[in-house]
Amino acid sequence: MSGSTCDAIVIGGGISGLAAAAYLARSRKRVVLLEAADTLGGLCRNAPLGDGIQIPFAAHALYALDQRVVKDLRLTRHGLKFAARDMPLAVLRSDGKHLVLSSNARDTARSIALQSQSDAEAWPRFRGELFALARAMRSLWWDDQALRLGLGQQTALERLSRTGASAWLDTWFESDVLKAALLFDAAAQALSPNEPGSALSLVWRAAQEICGLQGAVAFPLGGPGTLVDALALAARQAGADLRTRAKVARLIVANDGISGVELDNETISAPLVFSTLPATETFALAPAAAAGFAHARDLAADRTRTGEAKVTFALSELPTPGGVALSLGSRFIFAERPETLAYAYRASALGHFPDEIAFEMILPSAIDPSLAPAGRHIVSALVRPIPLAPDGGWPQRKAELAARVAGVLDRHFPSLSQKIVAAEILTPDELSPSRRADVTRMLSHWGERTQTPIAGLMLCGASAEPVAAVSGRAARLAVAKALERKR
Amino acid sequence: MKVRSSLRYDVAIIGAGADGLAAAALLARAKLATLVIERNERCGGRVTTREFHPGFRASPFVDELPPIPASLHWALDLSRRGAIFLPAPLSTALWPDRRSTIRRSDFGFSPTGRLLKQAAFSVEAVCRRAEIDSEIPARSWPRMLGRKRAPQPWPGAAWTSTSLSQSIGTAVPGADEAAHVCAGALWGRAADPFLAGTALHLLASGRSRTIMGGLERMADALTGAANEAGAEIRCGLEASEIRTAEGRATIVVLADGTEIEARAMISTLDLRRSFLSLFKWSELPPLLLNRIRNFRMAGATARLLLALDRLPDSLAGLGEALRGPVHLAPDFETAAQAYAAWCVGLIPEAPPLTLRVVSVSDPSLAPVGGAVIAVTAGCIPYRLFDGAWTHARREELRMKILAQIDEALPGVSSHILGAELIVPPDIEEQIGASEGDLAGGELAADQMLDLRPGLEALGARTPIRGFYLAGPSTAAGALATCAAGAIAAATVLADLKAGRLR
Repeated sequence: MSGSTCDAIVIGGGISGLAAAAYLARSRKRVVLLEAADTLGGLCRNAPLGDGIQIPFAAHALYALDQRVVKDLRLTRHGLKFAARDMPLAVLRSDGKHLVLSSNARDTARSIALQSQSDAEAWPRFRGELFALARAMRSLWWDDQALRLGLGQQTALERLSRTGASAWLDTWFESDVLKAALLFDAAAQALSPNEPGSALSLVWRAAQEICGLQGAVAFPLGGPGTLVDALALAARQAGADLRTRAKVARLIVANDGISGVELDNETISAPLVFSTLPATETFALAPAAAAGFAHARDLAADRTRTGEAKVTFALSELPTPGGVALSLGSRFIFAERPETLAYAYRASALGHFPDEIAFEMILPSAIDPSLAPAGRHIVSALVRPIPLAPDGGWPQRKAELAARVAGVLDRHFPSLSQKIVAAEILTPDELSPSRRADVTRMLSHWGERTQTPIAGLMLCGASAEPVAAVSGRAARLAVAKALERKR
Repeated sequence: MKVRSSLRYDVAIIGAGADGLAAAALLARAKLATLVIERNERCGGRVTTREFHPGFRASPFVDELPPIPASLHWALDLSRRGAIFLPAPLSTALWPDRRSTIRRSDFGFSPTGRLLKQAAFSVEAVCRRAEIDSEIPARSWPRMLGRKRAPQPWPGAAWTSTSLSQSIGTAVPGADEAAHVCAGALWGRAADPFLAGTALHLLASGRSRTIMGGLERMADALTGAANEAGAEIRCGLEASEIRTAEGRATIVVLADGTEIEARAMISTLDLRRSFLSLFKWSELPPLLLNRIRNFRMAGATARLLLALDRLPDSLAGLGEALRGPVHLAPDFETAAQAYAAWCVGLIPEAPPLTLRVVSVSDPSLAPVGGAVIAVTAGCIPYRLFDGAWTHARREELRMKILAQIDEALPGVSSHILGAELIVPPDIEEQIGASEGDLAGGELAADQMLDLRPGLEALGARTPIRGFYLAGPSTAAGALATCAAGAIAAATVLADLKAGRLR
């Protein structure tokens, strides 16, 4: 078994891992990044689907990429461009009274007024309050400091951390469509929209920023894979060693902390190890050292019952919504009533397929035609909540899920299902081992989440953030903390 | 009892339940002219016992009461008046398929006991905080907790953001024991034990106990205390409206048109009924009105009272365990499934059941040889998704419950002489609890404790001057008996003394 030495090791070649490697390399550390799979990018990469079509593998639109990561690592210079910077949100209804929320305040007001006049009046007030709270909450990860809030905001946030998103929205709006559209985002990360704290996850979502726009959703030119390429380029140029097909078998832990990792055929020693794996998996790599930690036990008890699934179709023709003219660059949400999400959550939690599925759909090829050859198109749908293990098992029910999604889409995009030439379905276990959103910790200072009880071992993936998202934030924070401590 | 000719009182109390009577006793003792208005012909509200089949009696709504704070029990002299709490009995869980039983006593030094004790401490902390928040002067009042103790650590996030399965799972070893504790907490309620915030149910269920001789004794004792202190109790009168002048409650109007003037009013009705049925909506602050309309009630209790000609052998075999509740096949998943059905207005396939053979601990409830079983079913919706609670739907529920009981305890249904089924709309009609919710509102994190709308902090004051709330919807109301009434009474006294009600 051969051995080598470096300054830092990064486990996992997803967005967080690449960002961590780039940050470390920029501080003149000798970094080795170890990715088990054949390609870099993890859930954010592009994947081929049939002849020349590139589909976003898992993450299909970005909303949380930290602007400081973009700036620090000069990602724009390394090729990151956006095809859509602020995608409107559209909810299609069977009766044609579609709801479109965009950055244009007048159009949005008119669209909401179609549903309810009083909601249209409440909307600017709601946005005002939501964004004010969101800005207050942002000090948590922008300044890496304890929360600095006014007393009123503190009380408001604490109240929301105990409120269900649907109960909160009920106090603002009466229109089912509007509430359902907003609830879809609150239901991320295995939370029920009725559960205490899901209201806070709405604020969390509004606090995210992309392309300098608060609460926006953007699509990179060339798909999410462009972000992977830009990060990898930034890391390589700074001198990082990015290795694929390198699976970590074990962490080497000595008395005073971590001293390296063991691969199948070699060992690499380093005083710093950054893991982007989920915390449970990370600790499983060093079972003896992690056994006694209460933290590890807590994590093991933190099970979810629902997850997300991704359905991607390649189409032979551009789908056209029946009737009205709509921007195909929107993100479409299919959940007609707030109860749809609550029922789907309840059914999924019990392991049943929900009667009515809720999903978000985008048309990447309509936003960026380079993803598919001329005439071909892509539909990318994120279904949630969905059972982690439905009765019958996922292998048997994959096709059913695709048919259900196509069935719902058919109602709004006539004869879409006849245009499908290829389909790809990712089940919750393939997509990501999802973790419940940690609402209680959203309001506390979460920099500590990057630390582990093993000295020198840092977490910088989704586990380190209150809600998992493609942000690069945890990597930036973990590296800063580790280097600061070294000094 | 002296009947006053003029209709002016210092304090008018709406509802003669445990809270209303306790408040009346304490206020009358402070030499205030106090009137209690009760809609029913009898005092007590849910604290009552009645004959449901010739010769057989039972408490129709609840079997046990949450504890009364010790100093209050002493101040009202309830033991001498015949209200004596029986010691906490064993609680039993029974799984018919495995024929195994688990028994536990709530006060052991086991992990379960520790968890429940923790919950009880938190309840005390709530009562104490309510006193402090209401700025009740220290010397004028026998403190709820008797001793001058620093406030307990606030039971915040530990209860409001954890799920029942999580809080029980980490404290209690063993899946069966955990399911048993869960059933003990959710008994007669509807909640998904896997959802965050459901740990609150542990607070509202700990240490409930029965009264020797039936709950009626407690109602009689409290009525006696109020009467002796000089309060006037009028049954058969219904308050229909409260008039306000300049943001202050001044006059209670009865259903027959009588107007009663009072300096302060205490409502022991639940939050929704107190504000939405007693006030003109135009006189309420719009924000308050909005929050109260969004306040969720969660009636989920059905009761089946059974009169039996004798105790079936399958039950008699349980021996001493019959003094306490018997939970049938408790299980986290079944509870979650029943909750899912309740949410959409369906009668669950297997509603969670708890049996209580009340005639064992209190033989006076049944004729010699006979037995009375009170069955409590949880997750029974107030509104069925396909219409009203017709005779057929009631019959369906009764059959479902009996089938489940017979499976676990063969032979029960062959001994039945008579039965009465009480579903949530009946509870609403009989004791006025909105949607049949005995807890005064859904026990959800966003509307429990300090987040109850319409109340200042944890106390009894409302945004309407001179109008106070006691009863189940206050912070202490769902957690302890009489405590909310006592807090309201103390607040009224403090406000009168400070001249805030001139």
